[in-house]
Amino acid sequence: MFRCVLTAAGLVLFACSTAAHAQKQTIGAPPEASNMKLVGASDLQARSAYQPTIHHQGDRWIAYIGHHGGTDDVPAPVNPMTGQAEPNGTSIVDVTDPARPKYLRHLPGQEGKYESGGAQMVRICDGKSLPKGDPNAVYMLRTFGSQAHEIWNVADPASPVLVTRIDGLKDTHKSWWECDTGIAFLVSGAPDWRTRRMTQVYDLSDPAHPQKIRDFGLPGQEPGSTGAVPTELHGPISTGPQGNRVYFGYGTNKGGILQIVDRDKLLNGPKEPTPDNLRYPEISRMPMSAFNGAHTTFPMLDMPVAEFAEDKDGKTRDIVMIVDEAILNECGEARQMVWFADVTTETRPMMISSYTVPEASGQFCRRGGRFGSHSANESMAPVYYKKMAFIAFFNAGVRALDIRDPYHPKEVGYFVPSITSATDKRCIPIEGGERCKVAIQTNNVETDDRGYVYIVDRANTGLHILELTGPARAAAGLPKT
Amino acid sequence: MRRGAAIAAVVFALGASGVGAYQLAPAPAEETARWREIAWPFPRDGWSAGRAFRCDGACAGAELYLRAKRGFCNCDRGVADDDEVDRVADIDLISPRFAAVAPGEEVGIGAMHGRARRYDLDMPDGARHAAIGIAVSRRCDLFVAATQGRGEAGVMQRAALAFLETQEIKTWVMAALDGK
Repeated sequence: MFRCVLTAAGLVLFACSTAAHAQKQTIGAPPEASNMKLVGASDLQARSAYQPTIHHQGDRWIAYIGHHGGTDDVPAPVNPMTGQAEPNGTSIVDVTDPARPKYLRHLPGQEGKYESGGAQMVRICDGKSLPKGDPNAVYMLRTFGSQAHEIWNVADPASPVLVTRIDGLKDTHKSWWECDTGIAFLVSGAPDWRTRRMTQVYDLSDPAHPQKIRDFGLPGQEPGSTGAVPTELHGPISTGPQGNRVYFGYGTNKGGILQIVDRDKLLNGPKEPTPDNLRYPEISRMPMSAFNGAHTTFPMLDMPVAEFAEDKDGKTRDIVMIVDEAILNECGEARQMVWFADVTTETRPMMISSYTVPEASGQFCRRGGRFGSHSANESMAPVYYKKMAFIAFFNAGVRALDIRDPYHPKEVGYFVPSITSATDKRCIPIEGGERCKVAIQTNNVETDDRGYVYIVDRANTGLHILELTGPARAAAGLPKT
Repeated sequence: MRRGAAIAAVVFALGASGVGAYQLAPAPAEETARWREIAWPFPRDGWSAGRAFRCDGACAGAELYLRAKRGFCNCDRGVADDDEVDRVADIDLISPRFAAVAPGEEVGIGAMHGRARRYDLDMPDGARHAAIGIAVSRRCDLFVAATQGRGEAGVMQRAALAFLETQEIKTWVMAALDGK
């Protein structure tokens, strides 16, 4: 009997120590990983990171990484290449050899802290693909804090040259740029609109001479309207003239909306921002739960679903993956996660499945910082498109999902980077003050055509370049390493 | 002399009664409004439910809705403009058909700062109400208040702001913003 008690006590102690270990990251501890392996890393000068875009540029691969503004403690980190304190902007990193990323240039952004500064968003188009671009140029479209969009020529990525600027805004965010047409859907805050973020459609086919096409948003957001103001835009993704659809995601962690828009009607329809004109290009709108927002709305059209292969109709489905963004530390909100909507019948979109990291698998609500989804890779390169999705999940790192059956998405790998001395704390208010913890905050993820996975950290830990291994690699159809 | 004394006595008496009358007269709205807590009247949405009150005093019939909204993206800029008040102050819970009647004004509740704005509301029953939306921020969190009724907007606004400055409410607001 006594022996049983001792055994039980030992088990309890073991369980407690395991739990304590699982909920706290420590400097020097190895990363947590399953079917994903670290290839290389860059500290990104300890700047809080948002969108990475990886571009095949000549015979090189260049990563362009947007940054949020600085922190209260370090508003403008020192760039060791210049010795100067520089407001966070864009990091440009040569990742041709992913095991040895080479930091080329930090291009400062707008002064300001957190989301009030920096240069969060970045997209790249080759001049030779744009209808009126300089064929020798490579263009980087980036936000400049909340006040502008900028286009730089990064043909020499170490020496960017400013081409043009679209200024006078009250906010910016996650824009989309079609490289074959030059049409850009810029997430902006036009000063007279009632919402912080809406869409400005531009023709950037000649990046030196931007042509505005129209302003767009949900009725109720336009200038002069009254009454309730619909949820603000987070970001659009276009399928271009061939697909003729733009998928708009509204909301962050609440009141999300997926809006499906006819691209041709949007570009060529009546442009005055009246309620009727704003409704004209809309095909449908799917309101989500008030608990969840829509950070990313990633279309995957005409997906064959193996389970439906023998059915007379509906063998292929049009799917939109919707990723919410968690914004509160230590689970201070409803769970933000990943949703799959079947939009095959476009006027009747329907949510068909969801995915979240099981909280208990890492006691993530107690680790510190945000836990929940933020964003997905947005590359449509064949290597992963419609097969594998990568989700940035803050303190649960990046998650690799097998999405070949979008009705049953399945996690097949993950990677939670180690924290470093650069990793910034995350705090919550408590009685008489605040309590802070340090944890990884994987904020964004992107893939390149070679299959490498790039994750960046909101809490200043930098860039980690990963590759799939084992069954996850096989699920993606990649050759064995 | 007697006549003069009599006049003085009358004047004194009237004066005294005048003072008494002043002391007994209804005080300004913020001193006499009594807010009685009622059930939160709105269906569940993305934010946790707040607290609701009905005025039994000078602003009789007006209702006041208070709640914390944790997680607000304008951490540095706070409640920057009137459009922000339109978006966040919960006026749309009362009726989605509202129109601002004037530019807003800066307000403070304790150490928090933000803006208040007056609206005309078309109520679901067809009635016209006045409303005031108030939004103040603390770092990345918001505290919002909305009051509405058939009464005069200025009276409701003064009564609401005075109530928000009471220790009971300020203590609750801080706790709500701390997630308690």
